[in-house]
Parts: sequence; structure tokens; C-alpha cells
Amino acid sequence: MQKAIEHIMHALFLICACVSILAVVLICVYLFATGVPAMSEIGFTDFLFGQKWKPSSGYYGIFPMIIGSILVTGIAVLIGVPIGILCAVFMSHYCPAGLYRFVKPAVNLLAGIPSIVYGFFGLMVIVPIMKSIFGGSGKSLLTAGILLGIMILPTVIKTTEASLNAVPKSYYEGALALGATHERSVFFASLPAAKSGILAAIILGVGRAIGETMAVILVAGNQTILPENITSGVRTMTSNIVIEMGYATGLHRDALIATAVVLFVFILIINLCFSVLKRRKD
Amino acid sequence: MKITRTLSLGTAALLAIAALAGCSNDNGSSGSSSPSSSSSSDSSTPAANNSSAADSSSSADENSSTPATKLDTEITVVSREDESGTRGAFVELMGIEQKNEAGEKEDMTRGDAEIINSTNGVMMSVAGNVDAIGYISLGSLNDTVKAVDVNGVEVSVDNIKSGEYMVARPFMICYQQAKLDANAAATDFVKYIESVEGQAIISDNGYIAIDTTDNYTASGVSGAISLNGSTSVGPVMEKLAEAYKALNPDVSIDVQQTGSGAGITAATEGTCDIGMSSRELKQEEIDAGLTPLKIADDGIAVIVNLENPIEDISSDEIMKIYTGEINNWSELA
Repeated sequence: MQKAIEHIMHALFLICACVSILAVVLICVYLFATGVPAMSEIGFTDFLFGQKWKPSSGYYGIFPMIIGSILVTGIAVLIGVPIGILCAVFMSHYCPAGLYRFVKPAVNLLAGIPSIVYGFFGLMVIVPIMKSIFGGSGKSLLTAGILLGIMILPTVIKTTEASLNAVPKSYYEGALALGATHERSVFFASLPAAKSGILAAIILGVGRAIGETMAVILVAGNQTILPENITSGVRTMTSNIVIEMGYATGLHRDALIATAVVLFVFILIINLCFSVLKRRKD
Repeated sequence: MKITRTLSLGTAALLAIAALAGCSNDNGSSGSSSPSSSSSSDSSTPAANNSSAADSSSSADENSSTPATKLDTEITVVSREDESGTRGAFVELMGIEQKNEAGEKEDMTRGDAEIINSTNGVMMSVAGNVDAIGYISLGSLNDTVKAVDVNGVEVSVDNIKSGEYMVARPFMICYQQAKLDANAAATDFVKYIESVEGQAIISDNGYIAIDTTDNYTASGVSGAISLNGSTSVGPVMEKLAEAYKALNPDVSIDVQQTGSGAGITAATEGTCDIGMSSRELKQEEIDAGLTPLKIADDGIAVIVNLENPIEDISSDEIMKIYTGEINNWSELA
């Protein structure tokens, strides 16, 4: 009897494990089965490198969106990563215990804010500031980058802090014993030792930034052209899918799914980098 | 306890940022028509920019006291997304849809126009940007933005009815006659939409009813009706369906909002009884066996920010703004 329950539960756990794997497999199959034929109908190069997106007139080039996604993510990393890493260093090596009781929950709170709320904050606060500085509509590549930079902060801070805390205390104490100051010990002994964890933090941040949709739609302007400069409007791949899915039919719809395939490949590459890093660390 | 303190800290930070944003707002103080005063307004602009939160209100007063005729700033063009019914009707009526080199009709809306995928989003964006221009369905217009006259005609239900206001589009339904005849409930529903009672619901919701004198009396039919199509027609169709079901409780109505193109395709293929469209049917769609029927008119209001002094704009100027020939408000006549 006991054994039977054992077997049943074993099977139950197996099924649970299979459900999540099945979900991933089904998404893959659906995306590629719909997206790849659409890509070949449009033409792979026309689709990936075409600079004109006008579905009503039969142009399906997502190159501006690919560049848009990469640039927005790049700016977000440039802004979010230095702040995030320094914040993590502060939390792990400088923060007085009293202050830590505020900072830690604040970072957790930042992670829990829904992205549409970030978007609204961006639209009401960052966009007017950008408009007063640079003119135009205020909705731009830079605005989206800044907002995403804020959004990836909790991811970067948490992962970096965890890896800093995992560095053996002896590294820091050894540096102190050799006569280094507190700053030198932290930045030249502890921080380099946490390198792989910090790289992982950056990659996770990139993954968060490239997949973000709702916040970006509100502040990026969503133009389907290659951005001329940092204050031009931009449309990311995720925005493109959400904005046009409502009205899309036929090839247009399939082209949007094909956009999702490209995005999926990007995410796959990012995850691959992450697991390679992790393996090297182990 | 911890959370309350964190929250209050965060709120304080947010308020500080918001205050900063508020006072650095560019009021877009305008060059007035006389050349002598334009230099003085130029010199006042940096002062307005540097002003603190306290006197930003006074600079706003200054703006309203000097009646400027035009802004002297770059226009922010706001558009709906490609394949939206509203955009389709707008570009066609305004002549923004032009022939390209290959001789095919192409939507020439400038590439750097801000794209927003909802009526409310367009209003929010125009309300928050002095330099913006956009377009929305008349039924959704509210006082957060200003609707400008087009070619000297005010956007109103009466002017659209008389045909004087040119930026209007029909709400259509379409069906295969044989399929409709076979479905007693659907036939009866169409009769209801075209009746005085049905049209009252349409005008109650801010759209322009068509003239009719037919009265509807419930005939006690039963059955199921499926509708599919435009997201612009959808909301008012839901209202119609609700009112109809109150009169005919044995009828079930399913309204799917997928977009005009998808609705027409579904009606052609027979996967729904009635298709909904927020634009006129094309000849090839009628040739494919569909009967179009107009159920209402909807105006498209051209909207600007409340602080924009412009009152009237010509359709030719709108076309040039949307195709990128005119970039600055001062270039308007």
C-alpha cells in the first residue's frame, strides 16, 4: 500500500515536471510553425533586414525594430548596470544595519512594481523632463532606455549582492591584512572575485530589458524607422507585436508571430550565455 | 511598519521628482505675429525655463493674457497604428494615402510620427504635449483635448449629418443575403438596428444615427447570431445587442471584435452571420457576395493640446503635416 502511494506520487511529480517542459515545447512549435513560413513568404532577408514596415502596403521589414530593441537594451544596461552594481556594493559592504532595513525592502518593492506602472511613471515624469530638455515629443530611445535602466535595477542589485555576499570573507580580510584600505579591499579583492555573478546579473538585466513591453510602448514613441539619434522615437520588437496584434490578419499576423520568433531567438541566446557562464563558475 | 516607512520614503522621492518635472515644463511660449514683440518673447523663454515651481503658474498666466495666434514649435505628429480602421479612414479622407513610384496606393504617414494603438492613448499623448496633433473617433472626444475646425467647419453631429464636416466615416455591417435570410433572428436584428429604437441607441452613444421612420416591435424570434469585425463598431454593437436581447430574450448574440478586415473576411467565408466594418466596403468585397448596410456615421475629430491657440486647419495642411511637408506650427496659414 505504502509502495503504491509512493509510485503514484512519483508519477504525479513527473507529470508536473512534464507540464512546464511541454509548455515550452508547445510554444516553440507554435512560434516556429507559424513564424518560419511567414518569414519565407516575405523572404528572410526582406524580413530581417528590410527597413520599411508598412503591412497595409505589403512591406514587412523588422530591421528598425531589431535595432530598436538592441539600442534600448544597450542604453538600459549602460544606465542600470553601474548604478545597480554600486548599489549592491554599498548594500553588501558599506550599509549600516539600520539603513539596510530600508534599502533591502525598497529594492524588493522596486522589483514588485508592475511594468505598466513604470510605464505610467515614465509617461508622466520622464517624458515631460525629456521634452523640456530636448524638445520634440519627449518620447524617445533615451527615455525608454532610462526607464528600462530603472526597471532592471532590482535584477542587477539582487544578483550582484548575492554574489558579493558569496565571496569568502577571507578575501576581504586578507586584503585588509596586506594594508589595503576598506575601499581597495572591496573594489579590488571582493568585487573581482564576484565577477561571474556580476556578469550573470548583467545578462539577466539584458533579458529583462529586451522582453519588456508595456512600459516601453508608453514612452518610446513607437515609430517604425531607424532612429537617427538618441532622441528619435523607436519601436522595439515586443511593442510591435502588442501594438498591431489587434487588427492584424493573414500575413500581417504571421509576420508579427515571426517577429516573436526573432525575439525568442534573442532570448535563447541570452539564456545560453547565462548557462555557459554558470557552468564555468561551477 | 517597515513597509509604511519605505512607502513614505518612496512617495517623498516621487513627489520631489514630479515637482521638478512640473517646473521645468517648457511652456512653449509662442512667437506672436508682430516681429517687434517676437524678440521680447524669445528673451522671455529662457526665463520661463529657469523659473521655479512657484512662478511657473504666473508664466502660464502670462501665456493666456497675450493672445498668440500660432505656436512656433515643431509639430509632434501622433498617429494610430497601421491597419487601424480609424487610421485607414483618416489617411483616405485626407489624401495621405498617395500613389508611390510603383503606382500603388501607399499610406504616406511620416515615418517619425508617434504611433499609439488606442483612442485613449492618443488623447493622453496630445493632452500632455503642447506641440502634438492627433485624430480620434468623435464618440470618444472629451475636454482633455481641443478639437480643431477642419476647413472652417466645426466637428459636430449636425455638421457631419449635413456633410459639411468632411472627416467622417460610416459604420457598416455586411452579410451574405442568402445566409441572413436563412437566419430569422439575424434578419430581425438587422431590422432592429435600422429602426428608430436601434438608432436611438446609436445616437445616445455619441455616433450619428441614420434617418429612419421604421418602428421595431419584438416578434418573439429565437436563435443565435454571430457578429465579427471592427473594434470601433464593436462597443456600440454590444449596446445594440444588449437592448435587443432585452426585447427578445430567446436570441443569443455573440459579438467578436477583431478588426474591420477580419470581420469582412469572416462574413465572406460565412464563419459569422454579420460582419462589422468601420470603413466603406471595397468593390471586390461586394463582388465576393456581400451586401453592405450603413448603420451609423462616426466623425473623426482632429485634436490638439488645450494650450495650442490654433482653431482652424485646412485639410490640405493636415495632409502636409502628416506626410512631413509641414514641420512647424508657424508654417500654417
